[in-house]
Amino acid sequence: MNSSTTRITVDAAIFKKESRWKEVWRRLKKDRLAMFALAVISVLILIAVFADLIVPYETALKMNLRQKLALPSATHWFGCDGYGRDLFARCIHGARVSLTIAFSTAFATLVVGSMIGALVGYVGGKLDDLVMRALDIFSAIPSILFAMAMVAALGSGIVNICIAIALTNIPGFVRIVRSSVLNIAEQEYIEAARAGGTSTLRILIKHVLPNAVGTIIVQTTANVASMILIAATLSFLGLGINPPQPEWGALVSEGKEFLRTAPHLILFPGVMICVASFSMSILGDGLRDALDPRLRT
Amino acid sequence: MKRTEPTTNAVPLLETRNLKKYFKVREGMLHAVDDVNISIPVKKTLGVVGESGCGKSTLGRTILRLLDATEGRILFKGEDILKYKHRKMQEMRKKMQIIFQDPYSSINPRMSVAEIIAEFMLVHRTHRGKMATFQRAAELMDTVGLARRYAGVYPHELDGGRRQRIGIARALSLDPEFIVCDEPVSALDVSIQAQILNLLMDIQEDRGLTYMFITHDLSVVKHISDEIVVMYLGQCVEHASSDELFANPMHPYTKALLSAIPEPDISMRNKEIKIIKGEITSPINPRPGCRFAARCEYAMDICREKTPPLLHQPVSSGKETERHLVACHLFRKGQGKDTL
Amino acid sequence: MTDHLISIQNLSVEYRSDIETVYAVNNITFSLKKGETFGLVGETGAGKTTTALTIMRLLPEQTGRITGGSIDFDGRSLLDLPESEMRSIRGEQISMIFQDPMTSLNPVMSVEEQIAEAMELHNRDNKTPEDIRKRVDEVLLMVGIPPSRKHDYPHQFSGGMKQRVVIAMALACEPQLLIADEPTTALDVTIQAQVISMIRKLRDRLGTAMIMITHDLGIVAQTCDNVAVMYAGEIIEMGTAEDIYLSSDHHPYTTGLFGSIPNLRSKTSRLTPIAGLMPDPTHLPEGCNFSPRCPLKMEICDRQPPCIYRNGTHLISCHLFEGRENWRKEEA
Repeated sequence: MNSSTTRITVDAAIFKKESRWKEVWRRLKKDRLAMFALAVISVLILIAVFADLIVPYETALKMNLRQKLALPSATHWFGCDGYGRDLFARCIHGARVSLTIAFSTAFATLVVGSMIGALVGYVGGKLDDLVMRALDIFSAIPSILFAMAMVAALGSGIVNICIAIALTNIPGFVRIVRSSVLNIAEQEYIEAARAGGTSTLRILIKHVLPNAVGTIIVQTTANVASMILIAATLSFLGLGINPPQPEWGALVSEGKEFLRTAPHLILFPGVMICVASFSMSILGDGLRDALDPRLRT
Repeated sequence: MKRTEPTTNAVPLLETRNLKKYFKVREGMLHAVDDVNISIPVKKTLGVVGESGCGKSTLGRTILRLLDATEGRILFKGEDILKYKHRKMQEMRKKMQIIFQDPYSSINPRMSVAEIIAEFMLVHRTHRGKMATFQRAAELMDTVGLARRYAGVYPHELDGGRRQRIGIARALSLDPEFIVCDEPVSALDVSIQAQILNLLMDIQEDRGLTYMFITHDLSVVKHISDEIVVMYLGQCVEHASSDELFANPMHPYTKALLSAIPEPDISMRNKEIKIIKGEITSPINPRPGCRFAARCEYAMDICREKTPPLLHQPVSSGKETERHLVACHLFRKGQGKDTL
Repeated sequence: MTDHLISIQNLSVEYRSDIETVYAVNNITFSLKKGETFGLVGETGAGKTTTALTIMRLLPEQTGRITGGSIDFDGRSLLDLPESEMRSIRGEQISMIFQDPMTSLNPVMSVEEQIAEAMELHNRDNKTPEDIRKRVDEVLLMVGIPPSRKHDYPHQFSGGMKQRVVIAMALACEPQLLIADEPTTALDVTIQAQVISMIRKLRDRLGTAMIMITHDLGIVAQTCDNVAVMYAGEIIEMGTAEDIYLSSDHHPYTTGLFGSIPNLRSKTSRLTPIAGLMPDPTHLPEGCNFSPRCPLKMEICDRQPPCIYRNGTHLISCHLFEGRENWRKEEA
């Protein structure tokens, strides 16, 4: 038991942290559909991030009435909209807006929802009752209506849309995290932690949340999927995004008048919405299976 | 079996006086632990034995204040720990620890072996810096027979026996004086059970630990305990030194319990097993009187009216250092003292 | 061979998945006569439950594979039977009871319905519903449950009573063979005594043969006529109860098992456990499966798997018995 063996042991203890995620990754890699979905999402994210490099923002805004409602061609890959603006550019930049909204609201929901859900699930008692009843009241309001009301109150713009959407999703997320935490809190290792004198805060951070991570990740991917749709819906209804800023839902809305004459205006952004949302769902399913400790073959 | 040091009259390391733990349930009050008086001398092992629902696990957890006692006193070296506020209780946590039954749910699947063992030490900051803490964790792994190469491994990669060793190392990490062992070998295979039992006994010898060993397995409890308490529906029905209990069981429940053990001996194949008739009665809103009366073949009228007190009885070996207490109206004469 | 009720010969079973193959049962042979109680002893992973499931042909479809051997029951080869015939055998001629009574019963069916179901499915002699109801009462009385409780649901019974209901269901059609997989492990010791006593009485009354799977050498001593000890998928020792409990010759694993149990009668300061763990069933060692843990290991043990040696009714698979007095090599 010399000091070098100890050193190796200590290093190993800290290094090995990756092994669990490696195993999850290995299992995920086997799910070809999930990997395909991951690739699609990655491409979309790259498009959103590097939108400016793919096509300059001005192109998305430049009107050219002579090209009004042009069909897809070599110069305009997706055609042009009612103002002659290049649809391809608008879709590319629209990706940036749509995905930013979706991911940031999902992230906000994750952070706030996890904290509330974990605290309430672990501590229980009157706090639990109070918070859950408050959330029940929130959930009673249909989410789109609520978002509309929030936007009407706060004004339009990306940030306000994000707040509105996040608020409608937090109750559901809290409920799911709470349920997971209730399960975890019954495990003996939590009792062991208490027997060792561990504070409630440390139990939540070191013992409860890491074990709820699986549920949280899966639910978050599902949230991203649905938030892409909600953001699109709100824009479609004319809330939130200020024209001429492109956003997939707004693009669909702009194109709806020309459904019969120029269906490509709805088709391209519509397809992008579907692909993004669908891929996130599939990825979420794949992650859920990969995170399941019971090895299934 | 165990060391032959006599039970001294010194202050016992742990004692409970009239300890009660009731749970409020829909139908009323569940008497999980009802007026229990036990004492454990320093460096000794008290076995607590009984079947499901007898309250033995609840007793262990209540003593550790993982559950709030309803009434009574818990004396650690003479001081009532139920009176301790948070800071003093934190100090106590270092002295009283627990080893759990289920090696699968009692350790955090998201932490590596070394992290689990080091965790309490980090919480209480018993060592200076992470290096020193993990070094101590490595030493504890040696003590419990876990190869150091498992330090970075996650629990799900290990079998039940090794996981239980992790639990034991964790319990030892704060250098406790008293450990509640809650069925630590029940979930393990027979050959691994023996390994872990030997380990527990060796550690006790090396560190002068005091154990409360909870189990339903009578052969295990005989092997490891100096004294044994038999529990039934939240009450102590018999308390005797290990050899004495098996040589001279007095309470009808103890007798039935002992006769029910299937022995690996074919000459015993046709022995008469005392089958206890009926099913266990409910611990919710129990009626006055002996809880075992409904199933006891010797039940008398008084048994259904008055709860029998735990009284000292003459010890069959005649040794002064041993004791034998029974709570049964059949043995009322006893020796007068109704507490320890 | 013909007076045997069931005869298992050279049975091997694997569980195959994408990643690995688990060699659960490796070339085992044993048989039972009518009315005999046979104990299958071993620890977790020895292959006992797999053997039981194989006899019942209840292995998981995706992964379980029978890679060799035969099972003859009452003159028929079980492994060749079509599923429809196998279904008529299960419950009627061969019944099984599992370890956990909590999950063996359907929580939404009353006890009467569950016992009657077994009889209705195997209604060979065309009982009327009235007959079946009467039989349910009979069977409940046999296991010590008052027939007045037959309309109750499983959650209203305690663990011991649930297990009795399970036994009642298993014996309702008076099968010739009952396979009991750790029937009392989940029960308290006094309830265990009740259940074992009841199983013994029923077995004597009905003449049912039984395979008792357990890790508890005490239960085996109380109930079994013949015993086989399994380790890592093989039968390493087999014989009558007298052979196993009274003989001084044993496989080192068997000796280890006995040494691991604290003895109620005598004082022992330390138990003598078996060091180490059972081998990984996906990577069994080359020679004897037990050699990595064997205190009496010889050089040959790592290289070559041992043959079977016989002394009367007692069989042991261990190199130590090569050339020993009274022990002869058994030809495969």
